[in-house]
Amino acid sequence: MRVFSCEDKFEAMMTCIYDAWNWALTNGHENVRLQREPIYQQSMFEEYEHVDADDEKVTKVIRSIRKQISDQAYLYVFYASLSCEEDALNAIYNFLRVGFAVGANVCSMYANPHVMRMMEIKRKIGNEAHYFREFARFSSLNNKVYVCHLEPKNNVIMIVGEHFADRMPSEHWMIIDDNRKFAVVHPKDEQNYIRYLTDVEMIALKNSEKYEDEYTDMWRTFFNAISIKQRENIACQRNMFPIWMRKHATEFTEKPE
Amino acid sequence: MNEIVKEYSTQEKLQILADAAKYDVACTSSGSDRKGQKGMLGNTRACGICHSFSADGRCISLLKILMTNHCVFDCKYCINRASNDIPRATFSPEEICQLTMEFYKRNYIEGLFLSSGVIRNPTYTMEKMCETLSLLRNKYKFNGYIHVKTIPGASDELLGMVGYLADRISVNLELPTAESLEKLAPNKSFNTILDPMEKVSNTIAANRLSIGKDARMERSNSNKYLSNSIFATGKYVETKATNGNNTNKLLLPTVKTDNIRKFAPAGQSTQMIIGATNETDYTLVRTTQKLYQDYDLKRVFYSAYIPINEDSALPSIDTAPPLLREHRLYQADWLLRFYGFKADELLSEEKPNFNEMVDPKCDWALRHLEVFPIDVQTASYDLLLRTPGIGPKSAGRIVSARRYGKLDFNSLKKMGVVLKRAHYFILCNGRQMYHTPIEEAYITRQLVATHGKENWEVAHQQTSYKQMSIFDYQEIGAMG
Repeated sequence: MRVFSCEDKFEAMMTCIYDAWNWALTNGHENVRLQREPIYQQSMFEEYEHVDADDEKVTKVIRSIRKQISDQAYLYVFYASLSCEEDALNAIYNFLRVGFAVGANVCSMYANPHVMRMMEIKRKIGNEAHYFREFARFSSLNNKVYVCHLEPKNNVIMIVGEHFADRMPSEHWMIIDDNRKFAVVHPKDEQNYIRYLTDVEMIALKNSEKYEDEYTDMWRTFFNAISIKQRENIACQRNMFPIWMRKHATEFTEKPE
Repeated sequence: MNEIVKEYSTQEKLQILADAAKYDVACTSSGSDRKGQKGMLGNTRACGICHSFSADGRCISLLKILMTNHCVFDCKYCINRASNDIPRATFSPEEICQLTMEFYKRNYIEGLFLSSGVIRNPTYTMEKMCETLSLLRNKYKFNGYIHVKTIPGASDELLGMVGYLADRISVNLELPTAESLEKLAPNKSFNTILDPMEKVSNTIAANRLSIGKDARMERSNSNKYLSNSIFATGKYVETKATNGNNTNKLLLPTVKTDNIRKFAPAGQSTQMIIGATNETDYTLVRTTQKLYQDYDLKRVFYSAYIPINEDSALPSIDTAPPLLREHRLYQADWLLRFYGFKADELLSEEKPNFNEMVDPKCDWALRHLEVFPIDVQTASYDLLLRTPGIGPKSAGRIVSARRYGKLDFNSLKKMGVVLKRAHYFILCNGRQMYHTPIEEAYITRQLVATHGKENWEVAHQQTSYKQMSIFDYQEIGAMG
């Protein structure tokens, strides 16, 4: 068994798929496994090979997926590359094995376990992105810039950012992924871009969340007033708005003294 | 006598007017898909977006407020009735606009839900609401979702104006029969409710035709493949909208502007109170179906009656809200809109109320065991949809996946089929999942056992428990 490993970046993953496939052509697909780094524990009976991103190979992989399978399959692959699941990269590889064998129909072959796994991963990403479209909260810095902090499990803030680019095109805003330490920045009337943040910048931005104004207060008032006492159902609330997602939600954070 | 008038701050007003609006059920932001624009704020998504969930587990999607809770009407069930002694406040149009804009920019809400008590007279109230919406759309450049409640008795011109500004319009039916309405809402009449409802639905249809769409609202995709769903029959709306000499039933734009917006692109909805009067579920479901077919409503909402006022015409003040009944009605509503069922299939004159123990779909299946078991590999789409445990999504997945291979129970489970309900009714490769008889008594017993916990939870939402911890002893001590 040979394990191909790469960085947690889209380009690196595509290159990794290319190299693994290349090796598997002579050694068999069953003997390949793909994994994203870091690999904490290597096993004794497996060979490890690190792969670095290579633009030419990336283009080739993407072109083959779009031509020989479908654009939809490429979208699935892209979504899955954002996943935090341990086996996401391997799932992409297995999905592509089925995909290159059967073509465009692969996206509706739910009875195939590899396809089903891919669907599950893709669905998780889509769902989490939707959750944060709902639960992202911006705080306003002097009514000029709106800043939002998120800690998603999967790498979804780019997808979330797309939504807000359409929604608030004429505002300055940014969405920060606190764990992955990067931000989607949207200058007024311009396109989104991604910015990796240094530790100093992270510390400087940390306080932006604590910024309170009359509207944060009014939102808490509204949130409490709208609930009907006779129908109280905390379990349902917890199902719909899981506690781990409440960390940056204004209505669930106490007003600072 | 001199009245002491206290000037409330915006925050206090928000407290009073959100509290007064909370008994309105509809808080959906779905049905309208509109892209954002440079220089404006907001877009809308067809799926709707919830932004938070309050302690009662209901979603908060819109800034749901009353413009004022002053009211000249005296509807018995309503917290804001004229005879109640409660703090009263009124928002100015500017205040509402600013709140909406600032909340929207912080992603707290998806838009505005504006309702109101009747101040002075219906037309004056509606005029103020219209002014608010016009400010919000034209001055503040708000492009998000707006849901507006119309006031029964307001003039047609205002109704028309509001329709071109909002995404969704609703007229509350409140009670399903004219008798109950007369008993509990003496200032309203069935006519002042159904007449605007009809005009709005005609205008929506005509407006849709004029922009090249089908006269009827879009429905869930599953309805396209169902030949006998409630939406497949009844061309009522179309014939009325295309009937040219019927313009007095249409709301035409009164002001000429360069860019006329669509008329209520997300359609119209209504709401009924259940449990305040003694209608049966059969009446309610039949009324619902009629509203969908004849008025092409997008949604019908039910609201379990919560006793807030003491009155001889109302249930006593300590009545618990009929939450399980409300839940069953919503399940039935879904069966009408997504599953191709009809009201008469679910209930009948002889059996006018839903079974408390099992859901309406299981109930139907148990009364029609002659069609089961079905083989998932060959069963038709509408029969799959009628099987307990299979919904539109999983039925769609089954239909597309079975073209490429045999299905087994494991893959069905992955596709989202709820096997604990479905396995009594389906076959894979000619076999059942377990060796279970197709007998009504047996399956009923099994289903009641699996439903028991869910039903109890719906009916007893208030009781909540948490895991005991050894560090809780102080609280226990304090209680003892």
